[in-house]
Amino acid sequence: MAMLEINGLNCFYGNVQVLWDVSMNIEQAEIVALLGANGAGKTTLLNSITGLVAPRSGSIIFEGAELMGAASHTLLEKGISYLPENGGLFPDMSVRENLEMGAYPRSVWKDRKAKLEKVFEMFPKLKEREKQMARTLSGGERQMLAMGRSMMTDVKLCLFDELSYGLSPLMAKEAFKIVQKMRDSGITVMLVEQNVKQSMEIADRAYVMENGRIVLSGKCSELMEDDYIKRAYLGL
Amino acid sequence: MLTTLINVLSSGLIMGGVYAIISMGLSMQYGVARILNVSHGEFIMLGAFLCFTLVRSHVHPILSMLLCVPVMFVIGFVLHRTIYKKLSDVSGSTAAFESNSMLVSFGLMFVVQNVALLLWGSEQKGYTFLMRSVKILGSPIALNRLLVLVFAVAISFAFYIFLERSRLGKAIRAVSQDPSAARLLGVRRTRVAAICFGIGAILAGCAGALITMINQINTSMGMNYTIIAIIVVVLGGMGSIPGSLLGGFILGFIGTVVNYIDPSLSLVAYYLIIIVLLLVKPSGLMGGKS
Repeated sequence: MAMLEINGLNCFYGNVQVLWDVSMNIEQAEIVALLGANGAGKTTLLNSITGLVAPRSGSIIFEGAELMGAASHTLLEKGISYLPENGGLFPDMSVRENLEMGAYPRSVWKDRKAKLEKVFEMFPKLKEREKQMARTLSGGERQMLAMGRSMMTDVKLCLFDELSYGLSPLMAKEAFKIVQKMRDSGITVMLVEQNVKQSMEIADRAYVMENGRIVLSGKCSELMEDDYIKRAYLGL
Repeated sequence: MLTTLINVLSSGLIMGGVYAIISMGLSMQYGVARILNVSHGEFIMLGAFLCFTLVRSHVHPILSMLLCVPVMFVIGFVLHRTIYKKLSDVSGSTAAFESNSMLVSFGLMFVVQNVALLLWGSEQKGYTFLMRSVKILGSPIALNRLLVLVFAVAISFAFYIFLERSRLGKAIRAVSQDPSAARLLGVRRTRVAAICFGIGAILAGCAGALITMINQINTSMGMNYTIIAIIVVVLGGMGSIPGSLLGGFILGFIGTVVNYIDPSLSLVAYYLIIIVLLLVKPSGLMGGKS
């Protein structure tokens, strides 16, 4: 059984249908990329998973339980961490406090010190900046902080919205490396990206969305040989 | 000369401390619960009369103040859970909720004020407490004023430490900075907002109780403090707690100095500060960019 199973999702904004019969599944410990241009419906799909948008029909099953209708504040306790496009950091709180907030659910709050050490081990840069306010960080450091924060709980599934957006090519590469490390440690990652080439290079499988529909899916190695993908997304 | 200086200085600290407590409460209610609580002063009055009534029934003033804490919290919390929660459910957006909630708090002001009028009447009330004086640097200071000063400063800093250090304090700051990100981390926003409203009521109530120890009180005292609190919050920066702390002491000092020169000028001075501030730094002393 897949970790996350999405079946026949239809979603509307007012009378406008933005998701059409979307189905996908994600297995444990794999990186799945959700690709597509601006306005293809990627973020709406993410928002449906996190409960910020209520789909009209379909189902979202996480570890065998229906996720739809669950309040967003219960997500983290279920093991789902969502990193919004802007990182969702608290600008006037220190790096350390931002990380601590990642362990807010009562069940993990007590262990936050140990988790903090683990995150600092993975991101030594954050340790150096421990007492600095989040707003003083560079774009890359912010993304590190946001990723670090999502590892403050025993997270099972990470949803990253435009992880590489606004990062320098070097930083983006760095961020993707961390995603691979996360997968290797058993965390499942869903990457929602416009950066098609780089995300295909690290992802195991990919889904391609256009106009609210999933038009293509498969192993990244195979998709990269696909003529349509080559022409439309890779510019080859 | 020295006596005058010490007098003005201590009065400034006392007023400043009381203003700081009041304003931090208002600031948090606005910053997290998005309610510009125009009835804030009425909670100060309520705390004052609660304390006064207890003292009249032979409870020690300090114990009375401590008793105000749970009572005021429950009043604030329940008020948010009933009226403001309902209001937030029917308001389509945050902006709509902000204007609706201000109107509701306006109405609440009249309701609380008139109920208090019914219960306690309109005349000045007060009690004597620690009227002895002690000498500090050769000038006498009344013991009750000294006590209020100590409590005002202690409450301000206790509250500040609570916000900085505790899990709930961090959650409160997180919600005020990015409510949707906080929700994704498991913070329940309406619950935190209700707690904040309750804490705001505690701070108002404590300030009211402190006021009874040094001044006479009456049921129409609230409005004056509401205005001062709003001025301080604007001065310090909307929603900024350190800003309110700083702004409270600044306004307390300026108020005392002006009061020493000519009491009728204090409101003029307050409004002058606001005008200058809005011209020079509209976001307030410690306000963000927005």
